[in-house]
Amino acid sequence: MRHPAIVTAVAASLSAWLASGVSAQTPIDYPHKVVTLVTHSSPGGGSDVFLREMAKHLPKYIKATFVIENVQGGSGARAVSRLATAPADGSVFYATTPTYIYTSLLSKTQHGYKDVEPLVNFFTDSEVIYTRTDGPYKTLKDVIDKAQTSRGRWGAANPASLERQAAEQLKKAANVTPAVVSHEGGGDLMINVLNGTLDIGIGEIPELRPQLEAGKIRLLATFDAKRMEAFPNVPTVKESGYAIALDKFRGLAGPKGMPPAITKIWDEAVPKILADPDYQKVYRTESLVANFIPHDRYQGFVQNFGTVTEAFLRENGVLK
Amino acid sequence: MHSLGIAFDLLFGSPIILFSIVGLIWGIIGGSLPGISASITMALLLPFTYGMAPVQAIVMLACTYIGAEYGGSIPAILIRTPGTNSAAATVIDGYEMKKQGRAGEALGISLWSGVIGSLFGLLMLIMLTEPLSWVALAFRPTSYFALGILGLSVIASMTNGSLLKGLAAAVVGLMISTIGTDPISGVTRFTFGSPELLGGVEPVLIMIGIFAVSELMMQSGSRDIGGLREQVKVRLPSLSMMNRLKRSQFIGCLLGTFEGLTPGGGGSIAAFLSYNEAKRWSKEPEKFGKGSEEGVAAPETANNTVASTALIPLLSFGIPSSNSTAVLLGGLLIHGLLPGPRLFEQNADVVVGLYLGSFIATLAQIVVGILLLPVCVWLVNRPRAYLAGFILALILSGIYTLNTSLADLGIALGMGLVGYLMRRAGYPFLPLILGVVLGHMVESSYRRSLLLSGGDHSIFLEDPIAIGLLLASAVFVTLSLVREFRDARNAKLKDAHA
Repeated sequence: MRHPAIVTAVAASLSAWLASGVSAQTPIDYPHKVVTLVTHSSPGGGSDVFLREMAKHLPKYIKATFVIENVQGGSGARAVSRLATAPADGSVFYATTPTYIYTSLLSKTQHGYKDVEPLVNFFTDSEVIYTRTDGPYKTLKDVIDKAQTSRGRWGAANPASLERQAAEQLKKAANVTPAVVSHEGGGDLMINVLNGTLDIGIGEIPELRPQLEAGKIRLLATFDAKRMEAFPNVPTVKESGYAIALDKFRGLAGPKGMPPAITKIWDEAVPKILADPDYQKVYRTESLVANFIPHDRYQGFVQNFGTVTEAFLRENGVLK
Repeated sequence: MHSLGIAFDLLFGSPIILFSIVGLIWGIIGGSLPGISASITMALLLPFTYGMAPVQAIVMLACTYIGAEYGGSIPAILIRTPGTNSAAATVIDGYEMKKQGRAGEALGISLWSGVIGSLFGLLMLIMLTEPLSWVALAFRPTSYFALGILGLSVIASMTNGSLLKGLAAAVVGLMISTIGTDPISGVTRFTFGSPELLGGVEPVLIMIGIFAVSELMMQSGSRDIGGLREQVKVRLPSLSMMNRLKRSQFIGCLLGTFEGLTPGGGGSIAAFLSYNEAKRWSKEPEKFGKGSEEGVAAPETANNTVASTALIPLLSFGIPSSNSTAVLLGGLLIHGLLPGPRLFEQNADVVVGLYLGSFIATLAQIVVGILLLPVCVWLVNRPRAYLAGFILALILSGIYTLNTSLADLGIALGMGLVGYLMRRAGYPFLPLILGVVLGHMVESSYRRSLLLSGGDHSIFLEDPIAIGLLLASAVFVTLSLVREFRDARNAKLKDAHA
């Protein structure tokens, strides 16, 4: 044991985690009987599944019934408006993802991401760099080397997305100039990586899983800050020598000016929910990384994400 | 043998027949309501499948898709309004037949062709899903560009005498397809800052507006002729007619399979392409547009074939090639089923159940289609004012359920006005629809290809699929133009003689 301090810290947090698991038997009282969770995704879409699973496990820790409301359309703008005009009493929340920041920045929405208040964060989706297994690339370095000697071909799922942002950042950090080609979503991108049109693609684990399990796709690196639990052999981009880490966050936001009593309940309850063994089983198979960010830090986190994204969009000529 | 055992279990052990027939009935009714597309019909059903067993839910959704593809032809033939996008091509000759008092015959041909298409599609699904999944893989951006050009080349033969008007309509369609987020750079174009337009204008809104809304406007401008007085009864084609339809159905099967396999295709493109090819290869091309039986058979075979073959890329790769399969993908994911090669090993019961359920629905289609027709005809047979009001309400609520967006209603109504003006001025609107449907694919894959090559157009010559498709388009355009000029010259000669 070279680092006894780390071991003690891990042990301490483990025991704290166990203790929280034990005390989770009685749900915290909540001022509302019914809490509405709004999402911009359609039934069966990413955020919808996230909320529906969460709603199953929340009542164990917060004494309320949670219902999901799908407010589709306008790339999330309508859902954000629905939230911004709702009472700030803890009865309505919205499932946040980077989508609502992009929409706020790219169009003149009636209510933007600055008009709502981030509550707490639950998860980070792992973003990975992948290539085809029978291709010539074994490591991220091989890809960068190729981009230095000839024209690299990198792919991102959508033009205005975190994945494209990641590709542009990596380009800059590695000082190479490959073509960054955006596609019609993750499935379209994956085909072009599999058929050799592209050297690499940047995407999320769930959309890759069928081909990953079939052994057709090799993961080269992850943009997560730490290595992924399910793929401990895949290095982070940071380890590979490029100081980039992405947080594709998933959390909740509420209307502006929520009472501290409400935010305190969520600050207390969410770590417990994330430690719930039944819930863990569900979200781990979805490759979600538990990443609790409490209310006081989450606001700064989202504002910072917005500022960085805006700068990226301006730099690449998407915003004028 | 193992799958046979599963099949027996499913057939006798669980009410899979029930789920497939309920799905079929729902599909036919939903499909026959103008403005309610196959994907909307399926999406409306989705919330009800949450509590079902996975195999039941998937069978029900897949059978709804099959039913909707037939149901869509009912209003296309009876009131000149396609119930689903992919029945748009059926309108051309189906409604002509109805005007000649042959509505029952047209419906029978549509039903029969639907069964043929479904059976063929199902056969393809079972045979090809695992081995042929490489087709989707072989398509590069260059191939998609060429595929889009092939689709657009159809315009040349769709203009009915005025090439200029046809091209003008196509350009308007292509312009509409540029609205939204730029597919490569992410810059927003022509959205006027509205978040509703970030994702572009959905083709379904254009189709509903141009076909249905403008038709209602035309109808409200003419005298009430008393609606559909005659009794409509499905008349299945006779043996000799079946024989005559074989060629166009074969074309529908082939193109339906091809479009189902390739992402971005979908039933409406397949239907238009096969209508066009059926006309090209027909012994009586002059009957097309004037109530040709083959003109109904070809698109109706194609769209039902797609309803099965579109499941091939979905099941083997998890890639939805149309809106309807995107809804089905949602259904699979809700039930924790991950499409891909592993699905066949881990959830063999779902795959076998899906094949079985689709087979039952295909056979039941003949009986259910005939039995349900009075219900659909009764709906269509109401006095015109009531019917128009009812359809408009359905269209508007159908569009609203799509994204619960008022902006979508505005777009559909606006397109209705455009469609009305186009009808008045004698512009064909099929080129406009093709422009909207294919514009995005052509533009984005063209720019993607050039981005990959660094601006070098020779990249299109390195892809054999692209070369083949581009050559085919060139041949089509040339042949159509030659025919057009020959017809024009013949007409002139006739005038001179007269």
